Amino acid sequence: MLWRMAWRNLWRHRTRTLIMTSAVAFSYGLCLFSMGIGDDGHQQMLDQAVEGAGGDVLVHADGYWDSKSGDLVIQEGGAIVSAVQEVPGVDAAIPRMIINGLVSSASGTRPLLLQGIDTDREPALRDFAEDVDYGAYLTSSDRDDPLILGVVIVEKLDLELGDRVVLTATQPDGEITRALFHLTGIIETGFQEVDEMVGLTTLEAAQNAVAAGGMLTQVGVVMDEGLVSDTVAARIRSALGSRGGDLEVLTWQEAVPDMVGFIEVDDAFLYIYLVVIFAIVAFAIANTFLMAVMERVREFGLLNALGLRGRGVAGVLLTETFLMTALAMAIGFILGYAGHLAASHWGIPLSMYGVEDMELSGVDFASLVMRSKIIPLKWVGASVLVALVTLGSALYPAWRASRFEPAEAMRFYE
Amino acid sequence: MDGQETGTGRIEGTSATWNNGALIRLRQITRTYKEGALEVLALRGVDLDIAEGEFTALAGPSGSGKTTLLNIIGVLDKPTAGRVEVAGTDITRLDKGEAADFRLDQVGFIFQAYNLVPVLTALENAEFTLLLRGVPTAQRRATVTPLLERVGLADMMDRKPHELSGGQQQRVAVVRALATSPALILADEPTANLDSETSGGLLDLMLELNQELKTTFLFSTHDPAVIERARRVVRLLDGRVDGSSRSAGS
Repeated sequence: MLWRMAWRNLWRHRTRTLIMTSAVAFSYGLCLFSMGIGDDGHQQMLDQAVEGAGGDVLVHADGYWDSKSGDLVIQEGGAIVSAVQEVPGVDAAIPRMIINGLVSSASGTRPLLLQGIDTDREPALRDFAEDVDYGAYLTSSDRDDPLILGVVIVEKLDLELGDRVVLTATQPDGEITRALFHLTGIIETGFQEVDEMVGLTTLEAAQNAVAAGGMLTQVGVVMDEGLVSDTVAARIRSALGSRGGDLEVLTWQEAVPDMVGFIEVDDAFLYIYLVVIFAIVAFAIANTFLMAVMERVREFGLLNALGLRGRGVAGVLLTETFLMTALAMAIGFILGYAGHLAASHWGIPLSMYGVEDMELSGVDFASLVMRSKIIPLKWVGASVLVALVTLGSALYPAWRASRFEPAEAMRFYE
Repeated sequence: MDGQETGTGRIEGTSATWNNGALIRLRQITRTYKEGALEVLALRGVDLDIAEGEFTALAGPSGSGKTTLLNIIGVLDKPTAGRVEVAGTDITRLDKGEAADFRLDQVGFIFQAYNLVPVLTALENAEFTLLLRGVPTAQRRATVTPLLERVGLADMMDRKPHELSGGQQQRVAVVRALATSPALILADEPTANLDSETSGGLLDLMLELNQELKTTFLFSTHDPAVIERARRVVRLLDGRVDGSSRSAGS
């Protein structure tokens, strides 16, 4: 009967209860929706950052990542790739030859970041074939010097498919070299950095261009799902043993700390925003319940006079709060889940909100379409927190209600 | 009313003492309220014994200390000084929780107004104290339903307090007070808000139950018509017992 009494008490002031319930429901729904959007956005950023970096874990010659120097190469490339591939938790070990150089045509010269890729292994991380808008992908070309360039370079060098270009770069031994390539494809990713700077060729062609047969600049590692990159990096270091002395093994977080920092800051802002919202809601509830307690002093006095102990009186109020919270959270969950489904289905392009030309760690924010992702543990955690905040906001009013002296309470309005 | 006024400050009631059946025993009860810098003496050394099964009215004008005395006997308030024993318990030593338990176990209350929990029906209000005692639903209903029928509320059990008249609400309060078979029922001006006919009916009911169930009733009033019906009248004036009288045959 106490539950029934609490439920009926809630609806004594229908409008007030509806306002309080709505406040909690909307805040909770908004909290779930914001987390869903945020987590999906972050996941997309992470995925793109990992792609941009070249893998979950990266293996280079020691010092390469900071200097990007062409003389820092992995000498026994094949052996290192094989050793890394054997490490438990490694899904794919992807060899790359990355060359910083200049590309020239009859119309001019542009800086170029040329990636020589293993066309069989690279799709484990990213499939460049999907990005080729004009011409053929590396596997479709019968030339041994194929080159795919970003659309912006192509325009600036006034190139057409089939044109010859010359790469000028430094060999690992320090000698300057030139190599001829034929433009076989053009990619348009929408990433300014890629379309303006990046070129793709086969691993063999890149190695030949800088006289680096058998050498590699980078081994990108794609790890099995659910693993932590630190763990896999440690296993790789261990597996490389003595050969690892001249190598650096970086997790993607170490490779692109800017993106990690950005996500941490973005998460912190989201949490601050939610804390502010819930602080407002908690104070509003506490205030309303306190008002309700003062309106019902005599009633609480009566309950106490009839033999309900102080904690029982507090229990009546807390039961009311519990019921209101349960109702509000049920509505809030429906709202939040509906928002999640809607965002997952339609997506929210960041470009709609004025995000233009913003790139960080290889992530083009303007191209991101935010959807929603449920991380069950976070939703459960947030729900528990919301319930605790809402119930907690009624603790002081309940304590006040439990402290009334029955004789004083009974003559409160006299 | 027949009987004799003692006119003394100390009343020995029916000459019952604690050892020979007094249910309530008050000794030198004083109660002082502080209102800012002002001290108000609500009770000034009250001695009183009430025996089991009595039907006693505390009479006196407003401010004479009737409600304060009832509150102290019902453990709703504590005296500033003095000793109170009810049903063998020194109730001045009870803490708040024990006081609530004592009220639940030993005392039934009928207040002047705001007697009922507004969101509960007449039936639920009547069985509320049984619920607090943990009595199962079926047993609660079996106890309360005949009592509600007895007081003429058989057709109104599902009504909320605002759907009942003042007299009907007081009858529900009487049933609630009786439901736990307490040693004592305290009623603070139970007829104050009722018309004379309803008031008379309520008093008849309380008298019947007193005689039939031997429940002790102690109620405050300043209504001469009610005082006339009491078996014993204790008069209070300015926080002191001003006299006591008994009707013939009591």
